[in-house]
Amino acid sequence: MPDTLPQSAKLLVKLHGKGSQQIELTLETLTIGRKTDNVLVIEDPAVSGHHARIVKIQAVFFLEDLKSTNGTSLNGRPITRHQLRDADVITIGQHRLVFQENVAPSTAAPAPFVDLDRTTVLRGTDRTPDGPTLTAKVLVIAGKTDRVEYPLTKQVNVIGSQDGAVIRLTGWFAPKSAAIIARRGQSYSISPSREAKYLLVNGTDVVGQQELKDGDQIEVAGVKLTFCILSGTK
Amino acid sequence: MHSAKSDTGLKRPHNEDRFVADPPLGLYVVCDGMGGGNAGEIASALAIEAIRTHLAEADQRADLPLIGSCDATVSPRANRLASAIRVANDAIHRESWSRPDYVGMGTTVVAALLHDEVLAIAHVGDSRLYLIRNGAIQSLTTDHSWVTEQMLKGFITEEEAERSPRRNIVTRALGVENSVDVELTEVPVKSGDMLLLCSDGLTRGVHPNDILHILGGPDSLPAMSDRLIAMANEAGGDDNTTVVIVALRDDLQAGLWERLKKLFAA
Repeated sequence: MPDTLPQSAKLLVKLHGKGSQQIELTLETLTIGRKTDNVLVIEDPAVSGHHARIVKIQAVFFLEDLKSTNGTSLNGRPITRHQLRDADVITIGQHRLVFQENVAPSTAAPAPFVDLDRTTVLRGTDRTPDGPTLTAKVLVIAGKTDRVEYPLTKQVNVIGSQDGAVIRLTGWFAPKSAAIIARRGQSYSISPSREAKYLLVNGTDVVGQQELKDGDQIEVAGVKLTFCILSGTK
Repeated sequence: MHSAKSDTGLKRPHNEDRFVADPPLGLYVVCDGMGGGNAGEIASALAIEAIRTHLAEADQRADLPLIGSCDATVSPRANRLASAIRVANDAIHRESWSRPDYVGMGTTVVAALLHDEVLAIAHVGDSRLYLIRNGAIQSLTTDHSWVTEQMLKGFITEEEAERSPRRNIVTRALGVENSVDVELTEVPVKSGDMLLLCSDGLTRGVHPNDILHILGGPDSLPAMSDRLIAMANEAGGDDNTTVVIVALRDDLQAGLWERLKKLFAA
């Protein structure tokens, strides 16, 4: 499987006044500093003993400053810890290190891949924009409600006396929730609530759930409503 | 009434899945963590803890600030659930910078908040929620995964998506970035409905029709969750598997009973 090839990365090291060299980033950690126990030793008093390091975590490389006296910059900005991307320039004193990453050859597959069995996150993918949403409203024909018409803007629109009900029943014995009109994708459907004694659509009893069509007459808990689709709106 | 079970599977060294089933809060969550070493477990554990804590606090204090933007198409309760998930995102993201081996850790989340006859669902990633009603099973979540997005765009078929070696790539996850796009859905539910929240360990190997066969059967809820886990392991057990099954009849009655008790206690 060519798209699982591990990414390889290199560091182009340009030491001030010493020309350049290339280092393959094969280790999990590449330490940089003045002391000789570092992988990359830079003999310069402006460089701290243990100045910075590059750590590889799965397929991603990170640059960390190890609380150095003079600091570490990435693309001109001081950092304490930052992810490395291709062509990033690390500056330590007057020395420059260019991070070069070879992305896996397959172009069809999004990188990075770590392990096919493991869940991997692919960031920054385009999100499919939602299509235009159908909107609808109900008109109150008869019964006690706090308004005469209600736009159905929510996914779940409760008809009842409870707080948060979209179609607010104000009759004395109105149930907290009489019925629910739900939008799912491009369609609306109505279903009776537990407290509902009856729910009629165009005079027919609704037991489970029924899809609503433009002009449908709804009768529930002492109110009569007309369902209207508002076409052409977004 | 509910039953929840989580299993490491046959091939993984750890179980990075975590779940919550908290009937008094009406909260059910499944998280499938990812990251090197034990980072995946840390991420999923942080997520469930942050989500539960935020919702419990919101129950006590109505003025608890809502994190993130408010979605006018869903109820305040659903917005509270999304807020809890954003808090979790922040907790994981901050923790991920505390140790080198935590970098990049994240988790999927599917969370259901049940109140009376309305179910709010929030999800990020490829953990799913199924509704089982009148002998039919329907997924109420759309995976945030590369293959699903390709399928929705019509580039690949459902069959190709199921076989794709890239099924493991999620396009959204909790904790990976400093903000997260939470998908919120709200639906009416009723007595007799069943919910199944699960990690992809179940859905990779077990077809929804086979899940329906178990959940539509006469078994007790714990026997059903055992059976689903066994089926995932029979299909290879490549991944951790977590299932949370909620049978709505008893939950609604329990909710009523709790409210009655509170009424008399007051």
